[in-house]
Amino acid sequence: MDDTPSQNCGAQSPSAKNTASPDPSPSQLVDAIIEDFPDHRPGTRPIHTIGIGVGGYFEASDIARNYCRAEHFGGQRVDVSVRFSNGSGSPVQHDGWNDVRGMATRFHLKNEAATDLIAMTLNGFFVRTTREFIDFTTAARQQPVKKETPWQKIWDMLQLKQPLRDPYPGQKESGDAGTLEYANAHPFAQLAVFQAGSIGAPVSYVRAAYHAVHTFIVTGEDGVRRPVRFAWKPVAGVCNTDPDAPPEDDYLQGELRERLARWPARFLLMMTIGESGDALDDPTVPWPAKRVRVVMGTLILDTVPADQQAAAEHISFNPWRLVDGIEPSNDPILLARRDAYEDSRKRRGGTACPFNRSGT
Amino acid sequence: MAGLADRFEQFVKKLPETKIMKFVAGRILVPIWASRTPVKPQPGGPHYSVQSGDNVQRMMNLIMPLKDKSAVGRAEAALAIAQNKDEIYAGLDNVGTVHFARFVIVGENICMFSVYDGDFTNYIRDFIATIGCVFDAVVKLVEGGDAVIPSETHVEKFIDWVHAHDLYQVSDQATDLFRDIEAVNGETAITRDLRLLPRDLILQLHVNPNVSLGSGYRAYPGYSVAEVRKQFGIGW
Repeated sequence: MDDTPSQNCGAQSPSAKNTASPDPSPSQLVDAIIEDFPDHRPGTRPIHTIGIGVGGYFEASDIARNYCRAEHFGGQRVDVSVRFSNGSGSPVQHDGWNDVRGMATRFHLKNEAATDLIAMTLNGFFVRTTREFIDFTTAARQQPVKKETPWQKIWDMLQLKQPLRDPYPGQKESGDAGTLEYANAHPFAQLAVFQAGSIGAPVSYVRAAYHAVHTFIVTGEDGVRRPVRFAWKPVAGVCNTDPDAPPEDDYLQGELRERLARWPARFLLMMTIGESGDALDDPTVPWPAKRVRVVMGTLILDTVPADQQAAAEHISFNPWRLVDGIEPSNDPILLARRDAYEDSRKRRGGTACPFNRSGT
Repeated sequence: MAGLADRFEQFVKKLPETKIMKFVAGRILVPIWASRTPVKPQPGGPHYSVQSGDNVQRMMNLIMPLKDKSAVGRAEAALAIAQNKDEIYAGLDNVGTVHFARFVIVGENICMFSVYDGDFTNYIRDFIATIGCVFDAVVKLVEGGDAVIPSETHVEKFIDWVHAHDLYQVSDQATDLFRDIEAVNGETAITRDLRLLPRDLILQLHVNPNVSLGSGYRAYPGYSVAEVRKQFGIGW
């Protein structure tokens, strides 16, 4: 998990507003994630633990400011720091395994201000509320991997049923069985679990599409407020590794270093505008593909900082680090992430929000 | 023994790609499961929605089996279209909600693929009013078509006939197939085994051999014909 306090430091989280609510605390949310990874190493992120920081800049499109008056959509070049990551909370690197990938972006604005955009390769989340999150993470606890016997696979085939994926070499435990069971009982989780189960491994961190999943409310220069969702689309295109080939454990960071040494990598920032009736506060439901999409700008990544401790480990992101022109929606998961990310940041000693150096 | 077990495991892993397994799956397993767990065909056309973005750039995919399946029959169909170009363009201009329409001959079928804005029944009703004669010329060459022509005097019947030939549009999100199945079966809050999603799709394709995959991919999403024409300065 990338984490940090919000630039909107004075804002109260919903959990703070509703003290009578039995919703889990931010600390309980972080604990729930950590429990899913028994080999979690204190001082590291509880999820998206393995990552690499890169640098570059963002240039807004000509029409971006019409839709969002936030500073980074004003048209000037804005420096960025990006952290790509594998989704697992294990400190052991398995680049080639089936896993969701993360892309956290920090836009560096004037006067040391900043705003973050956190995205992942799934286009929807698993659950809708924090209580469901606790149930889901409980279901996702690691269990000894049960490899199907050839006879079981034949029985699956006879039933026209998808066989279980064989464990990777050396893989002893997995949360897949529990998440599958959870999804079978909870239709809202089915799409994300289904996609996560076959998401594979990208050939490069910059050859995957990343979705910010939650709805934000943007305000244009004309004062019109619109519900939107952001996604990064790789200019190089989306490409996965061969799922039938033996997975490599360590190639994504090296590939990115070599690639950026030769040529910059680019992403388009696409903004989809929601309509009345769309799932504005439910991250498990992707919006229909028919919604209007706007090209908000181009991200150019061209450097891999030498100091990866600062660029990838200490840097702390938070989806609530927002600036004028972008507001969070009432999505309960988005609301919960603010304090959960801050809790996580404190535990691992990540860099605090520049507007909240005390870390309170 | 370990070597034998490994070989057996490798054999099973590759089994789905073998000709024998493909034959068994397609010719034996699918009919068995279709019999054990009967599946209702999904209705054709776009999913119902009141949201404006869902009501633009809707697809109609008609596949109509020709009565005369020979090259002569296919040529008759081609001629029916070629002889009605003026009528087709006049109809498109008058209706004003069609992004494009294509007639395609695929094997023993004449197909009409179009993208339109608004309600399906109104779309067909408008076309009947403006180019019903073209529809009649095509439909009379198609199996079952005689019962619904002339379209101008069989409007509702004709609309139902077209809808019945419109392809099921498989949802963009894989697991929405479960929701479609529940809707057709009148079920609510049913949970299904994710690992059986492939079987659900296979059995749907068994009863519904021609489908549209997704709701279409758009370079300019969410815009109507009227908005496009206005932006190009070529219409209202």
